[in-house]
Amino acid sequence: MKTKSLIDALANSETETPHKAGDARWALAALLGLAGALAILGAFIGPRLDLGASAGVTFAKATFSALFAAAGLALTARLARPGRPAQTRARMLGAIIVLSFAAAGIALLGADPDARMRAWTGGAFPWCLVLIPLLALPAALALGWVVRALAPTQLTLTGAAIGAASGGLGAMAYALHCPVDSIAFVATWYALAIALCAALGAIVGARLLRW
Amino acid sequence: MSFDETRLRQLMLAGLDGDAGAHRAFLEAVSQMLRGYYRRRMGASAAEAEDLVQETLIAVHTRRDSYDPAFPVTAWVHAIARYRLIDHWRRTKRRGVSVPIDDAFMLSEESDASEVDARLDASVLLAKLPPKQRDAIRLVKLEERSVREAAALTGWGESDIKISIHRGLKTLAKLMREQTP
Repeated sequence: MKTKSLIDALANSETETPHKAGDARWALAALLGLAGALAILGAFIGPRLDLGASAGVTFAKATFSALFAAAGLALTARLARPGRPAQTRARMLGAIIVLSFAAAGIALLGADPDARMRAWTGGAFPWCLVLIPLLALPAALALGWVVRALAPTQLTLTGAAIGAASGGLGAMAYALHCPVDSIAFVATWYALAIALCAALGAIVGARLLRW
Repeated sequence: MSFDETRLRQLMLAGLDGDAGAHRAFLEAVSQMLRGYYRRRMGASAAEAEDLVQETLIAVHTRRDSYDPAFPVTAWVHAIARYRLIDHWRRTKRRGVSVPIDDAFMLSEESDASEVDARLDASVLLAKLPPKQRDAIRLVKLEERSVREAAALTGWGESDIKISIHRGLKTLAKLMREQTP
């Protein structure tokens, strides 16, 4: 086939194409993802028993998680359309992860040596490593849906961004359940769980986002 | 023939607003950019490069709603061209080849208006589409009827026709990629 006839075929019907760059789909997908995570939490995991008394610290943990969600969303939205520089946003996301590990280290240094281990591990298996990725699934599906309708060209990075954004949203919901409040614990394991989501997103994204 | 960013951007935006002539001029300019880009990177096979040109043109057409007018349109085309090239290498298992990220188009140097036939025959591929998509594409894209005429002929709604064309083009692009060895 001649390329000229292909162009003729593609261009012969005039169709107006909507092309607004700022769009509401991201906010909608994030809200759907968060709602999905809260639904899973409510149905299978349940909120912490002392939620009323610990509203302040729960809010702080959710806000901390929202930082990752915001940075991940900003990067995802940037990467979903071809030809836009994304380095600054990718570095922001990386910096937030590194800074939380640093915060965990500093908090641990300041902790009483006898209480250090307990402050770091919460005294049990860090379930957030399993539950945050699980709670991230609805957001990952919703964001993946929006991204696939556009045209991502850096699939691994886009997958990682979707993973981090959904991990952050999942962690926001998880904060309602999580009974451990030490800074060292949250800054280590939440960040690690979200980084795990980003890694999974990178692997899955490279396959599922192809077009 | 050389097209600078300003000119290309005007054509793209006019095309997005429904100007078919501008869209055709845009696709023609882009096809020359792509031909230069792919020939330089495929080396041996001009026909293989032309397959990629056509595949990418369809991608540029069907995904044009992904263009963000706040950024250069040449960067948008380049990102898609590069993505299609990497995808092509992935399919043909030629791994370990790296494409420099910042090898921006040198329009005047790389443009190439001479054309070879691509090895793929559209009519063979069209036959593989679901009937509705095939008919919609045949009526509107090949027989050059308007969407309204096609709707009247088939009894389908106009938006139905547009959606079928859109899906059909995407399926075609996928079929072309699968056929490329």
